[in-house]
Amino acid sequence: MTRQAILQKKTKTRRLKRYPELTAIGIGWGASACIGLLVLGGCFAGENGFVFGGMFVIALLYLGMAVLCLAVYQAARHSIAAGGGIPIFCRRLGWLMVASALCGNVFAAIAGFSIVKEKRSLEYNLCSYAILGNLLVLLITLLNLFKEYVARFFMVGIGLLLASVVLYVVALPLIERAQTPEQYRKLKPLAIILIASALLGNLFAAILGLVILMRIKNEGSARSIEWVDIVRRIYRNYMAVMGFFIITILIVLAITCGMTFDYEYAISIDYDNLLHPPSLAYPFGTDNTGLCVFTRIVYGAQISLAIGLVSTAVPIVVGGLLGAMAGYYSERLDNGIMRILDVVYAIPSTLLTIAIVAAFGANTVNLILALSISNIPIYARTMRAQVMTVSNSEFVEAARSCGRHEWQILILHIIPNSLAQIIVRASVSIGIAVLSTSSLSYLGLGVEPHIPEWGNILKVGSPYLETHPYLAIYPGLFIIVLVLAFNFLGDGLRDALDPKLK
Amino acid sequence: MRASIRKSFSGAYENTSTRIFLLLFGVLFFIPAVLFHLARRGGNEYNRRLREMKASIDVDALRAEVTGNIQKKLSYFKRSEAGLDGEVTRVLQARLDEEAKLKLARAFPLLKPFSFTQSVLELLDTTAGMLLYCTLGLPAVLFAALMTNAFVRYTFGRLLLVVFVVFGVTFLVFTILHFSPMDPAYNILGQLATAEQVEQFHKAYGLDQPYIVQLVESFKGIVTLNPGKSFLGSEDVITMIVNRLPITMELTFASLLLAVAIAVPTGMLSALKPYSILDYVVMLLALIGLSMPSFWMGLILIYNCSIKLGWFPVSFIQGDWRSYVMPVIVLGTGMMASVARTTRSSMLEVLGQDYIVTAKAKGLSRRKVIMRHALGNAMIPIVTIIGIQFGSMMSGATVVEKVFNINGLGNLLVDRQFVPDIPVVLAGVVYVAIAVSLVNLLVDLLYAFLDPRIKAKIKGY
Repeated sequence: MTRQAILQKKTKTRRLKRYPELTAIGIGWGASACIGLLVLGGCFAGENGFVFGGMFVIALLYLGMAVLCLAVYQAARHSIAAGGGIPIFCRRLGWLMVASALCGNVFAAIAGFSIVKEKRSLEYNLCSYAILGNLLVLLITLLNLFKEYVARFFMVGIGLLLASVVLYVVALPLIERAQTPEQYRKLKPLAIILIASALLGNLFAAILGLVILMRIKNEGSARSIEWVDIVRRIYRNYMAVMGFFIITILIVLAITCGMTFDYEYAISIDYDNLLHPPSLAYPFGTDNTGLCVFTRIVYGAQISLAIGLVSTAVPIVVGGLLGAMAGYYSERLDNGIMRILDVVYAIPSTLLTIAIVAAFGANTVNLILALSISNIPIYARTMRAQVMTVSNSEFVEAARSCGRHEWQILILHIIPNSLAQIIVRASVSIGIAVLSTSSLSYLGLGVEPHIPEWGNILKVGSPYLETHPYLAIYPGLFIIVLVLAFNFLGDGLRDALDPKLK
Repeated sequence: MRASIRKSFSGAYENTSTRIFLLLFGVLFFIPAVLFHLARRGGNEYNRRLREMKASIDVDALRAEVTGNIQKKLSYFKRSEAGLDGEVTRVLQARLDEEAKLKLARAFPLLKPFSFTQSVLELLDTTAGMLLYCTLGLPAVLFAALMTNAFVRYTFGRLLLVVFVVFGVTFLVFTILHFSPMDPAYNILGQLATAEQVEQFHKAYGLDQPYIVQLVESFKGIVTLNPGKSFLGSEDVITMIVNRLPITMELTFASLLLAVAIAVPTGMLSALKPYSILDYVVMLLALIGLSMPSFWMGLILIYNCSIKLGWFPVSFIQGDWRSYVMPVIVLGTGMMASVARTTRSSMLEVLGQDYIVTAKAKGLSRRKVIMRHALGNAMIPIVTIIGIQFGSMMSGATVVEKVFNINGLGNLLVDRQFVPDIPVVLAGVVYVAIAVSLVNLLVDLLYAFLDPRIKAKIKGY
């Protein structure tokens, strides 16, 4: 390759790098094509050969969107490589991609939202993800309409979800239009409504509301707020936001499923519907006692997320405090605490769980206890190392010379500055807790067998592996997707909190 | 010779972890030494001079100075003057000692502070004392000589920690099991067992003894490799474990080898071409590997490779290599993923260091730069992650053994926890914890060879 050619290639890469929209569209067409082909394959996989129906229409919609995205992608690439920007007609076509959210094509919709506007503020991004999140949950919930009966508060749940989607759609232009501080201040009630709407679980809406409030509070001053900057940096990483998006969807589902999904389908035995293959009424089929696997998985999300959150929060508090004390106070205390934690650290988590369950029986509380205890040493070690570094900083000296008490220095100055690593670790360890929970439930050491937890669902499905593999495949996929989401978020957080590490 | 014996003594005595062993080994010598030390205490020159110096200091002037300082500080921070006197006395005492020592050091620079070490060293200076030490305290002499080597001392300290951990784990697990509200007697004898039968069962297994006695018995059992008989079937616990531990270990180490063999080169490749397609694919695969529940992966493999394709036997047969393939892959996946990720990030970090730029600048070939300068340093975090992950692999082995129905230790423990078969669960958990601790010890020692920084730190002790 000549020097000229290398230089040209470098210029091209540099130009392409300036447009993060391209990544979104690239993933948009790839994902749409994959899903489309999978659904198309599903049309042919039935016993009667090819079936023309809703499935086929959906497959066509996805494949069509994939073609559209691909065309836009190529057009935009050529135009950028030639030195121009993204052509205006490409940006117009973005609206069509946004519309594909109505058939559940989130990837194309994200691509659409990112291409229709040239300059996207953080608020715009947050709001578009908030819309897509609740819209997707709404669509998933609407699948319940194919069942014989729906939950008592189904309409209430649907109404709330619909209202929240409408709210976000209305909020988007309002926020975009606000330019001057005057106009911005008027958004305060909207921000509060957005935060209130996050009670349904939409974390994007909550962050959006907080960002607006922060901007109103700091209006005029140029100083940047650290956590807002971190959110902005996370947005540069497509997969991290995707992970956060998936987590948000599952949280919204876990919160609203009490209203919209009938628990009866998840727990009461139905002898008329044993081992039903996947259909619209039972999207993931029914198990050997006639329970709807889909409903069970949705309720399982509730339990998995709850266990994951609690069994991460407890060791963060306990381990974090112990580690901070060990790292800050005398060497003797350090030795005492760390040696005791070494004992806990030496026992592999499953074996510790076996010991605890052997003594006190298998149930959710003991499971959380076991997971929490085995996580304490890890957080203590992380915190200790951080505190040891931070406590040599000048600002600690300054605080001490101003006569702060030692414990005040520790709590007010050192711990807040040592949290970055802990936050990254926490996001990954929620994922690990979800994995451990399902593994332990599968072994019969975790959640009580009658509760629809993902490991339990898999355990019920595993004897039917040969005849009805979907019973074991779907819950497993959900576990992978949720844990993957937490891992992606963790990677994104790590890069955003410490740019040096990348 | 004499000098080195003196030096080895004071070295071993100053280190808190070796001191107690030194005293223990040389107890025959140290008892007379203590008597010598006590006899010398009164007429010791250092203490006498120190007292003189203290008496010569003007206490009132010092008190005035200290009080003034503290008052100034309190008024600056706008605090009340309550408790002023107490603080003044405390600070004054410290200042007095400090000043006296300073003065003493200035007046008699050769006078050493009076301590037990000093007494023993003085004793060793006399020929009689030296002879006594070398005869009565021979074990101590040898021990102290051994401890002059930095690596031996480091290894010794780490071994002590392992012993502590073993006792700690035994204590923890025993206590958890002891305070269980469930009575294994009913589970084994049946719900209809009479009170006498239950009592007899308790007596046979020593469950009627107080907590402390049982705990000591458990310690003894663990250390002497004779943890008693299982509740269920009354088998020898140690034979059960000896029969089952090897297969668990085989699985774990095979997975470890597989993981390292695949993950290290892949991680390096992806670090050498960062942000390429290969890099993205490898890292995505690694993340999926991290996120996959191992039992699910096992089920999918059984379904596809055993049931559908018939490549590997469905049930595990010990000794048949084909039946090892799937469990090893499943168990190795998580390790593979984390090792690959660590290799990539640590390699990337090392490649960005200044010494790599220097190596490139002096004209070394790319291969030499990577093999000689980058790889060795990049290995350090990889070794760490292997040590850290070993424990979770032992956890994973339990699940894999259940899924593939392998007669390993984890399978045994899961089956016996329902009883609960206390001796089996206790011994199983403790021995696995010992294995994990030993592997971590090995990793720590490996460090010392890999990382010159740590080597220097160890020598600096």
